[in-house]
Amino acid sequence: MKLKGLFSTAIAIATGLIVLVGYFVELPLLVNLRITILNWAIILAALALFIGLFNLLAVHADKVRSKKKGGFYSLILILAMLVTLALGLWLRPDHSLMAMIFNAFQLPVEASLMAMLVVTLTYASIRLLRRRSNLISVIFLVTALLILLGSAPLPFIGSLPIVSDMIRPFIAQVLAAAGARGILIGVALGALTTGLRVLFGAERPYGGM
Amino acid sequence: MLAWISLDLITASVSFIFTLMVLSYLVGDNPLFRLAIHIFIGVSAGYAAAVAWHQVLSPKLIQPLLFGGLQERILAIVPLLLGALLLMKLSPRTARLGNPAMAFMVGAGAAVAVGGAVLGTLFPQILASINLFDLKTGGSITERLFEGSIILIGTLTTLAYFHFGAKATPSGPQSGRLVETLGRIGQVFIAITFGVLFAAAYAAAMTALIERLNFLWTFIASFL
Repeated sequence: MKLKGLFSTAIAIATGLIVLVGYFVELPLLVNLRITILNWAIILAALALFIGLFNLLAVHADKVRSKKKGGFYSLILILAMLVTLALGLWLRPDHSLMAMIFNAFQLPVEASLMAMLVVTLTYASIRLLRRRSNLISVIFLVTALLILLGSAPLPFIGSLPIVSDMIRPFIAQVLAAAGARGILIGVALGALTTGLRVLFGAERPYGGM
Repeated sequence: MLAWISLDLITASVSFIFTLMVLSYLVGDNPLFRLAIHIFIGVSAGYAAAVAWHQVLSPKLIQPLLFGGLQERILAIVPLLLGALLLMKLSPRTARLGNPAMAFMVGAGAAVAVGGAVLGTLFPQILASINLFDLKTGGSITERLFEGSIILIGTLTTLAYFHFGAKATPSGPQSGRLVETLGRIGQVFIAITFGVLFAAAYAAAMTALIERLNFLWTFIASFL
């Protein structure tokens, strides 16, 4: 029997089973144990975030040190990260200065990136019709067009009578709901299978020790 | 009062500049866009770490260890040890020592995923499919049966599309003809679903574009 990774596998299986049984069996001891383990996992996830932050710092510091292309941007990234982290640790995230940093940097960049999706999505749909003009692509784009036409009133015309009242609700609430339900159940079955494979030790994404 | 007005003006000015820097990508990749994105990543990472410290690490680990009772301290030692093992992942030479901590997180995550899939998705979705044919809920019976049947057919055919099982034959793996036909119908339902999702994403992006353009115009107009 291959013993490599037995200790880690035992930890993964034991942790997983305690948490899973705690979901379905309403014993106070099991429920408390599940909550404690989940709290520990949350603490570890927060520590993992700091490890990721350190890794980001190391990668960009290396770029600055070796004077690679884009080193200036890496330096700016490091400075932005350290200043924000220092202010956040010192003042707390709910301080007005942190709110200002969020409103001045994060919000406009995120909203602008979202806004640029208009161009990207339009370009992608044109490319789809040019590169792969089959029945499924046509159904996909006609559906998107009908939903958009039925969602908002058009200038000078207003709401399109049949599209807004009948076609859009039927597509969104019946046809798309059917597809979405199938996809959701498929995803849940996939998550269930992968989760059970981890809990049985068949899948070991944590390496061996 | 003056300080707050200045702070608002600084926020709006920086926001204005960063909006223009990001939107400049529409004319092609350029240094201004790259600068804005690098600052954004740095600020986001620092902000997330500060939130993680104040919301999780400080109240759940540091404070119980320093100021908690005996039971709290004992309970906090376990994640402290696992965290120390996790830190070993930083060096390739000691990375193996971090595997038990990773296994702990993966095990807990897998159990949460299984519980969430069963209790949060499978049961509610199956229950909703059954309720489609509950004739006591009101409305026209014919309409409910018609819509319920279409949703049921759509759900089953979509699931058939994701069925990848195949029989081994001398000419290679071959899937069943019935499943293949059902999968083709399911493909139409999937295309319609993604079309609706595409339209929703497009509408959300359009709203964001209008909001940003309105912000730019309002900012300029405030100086006119």
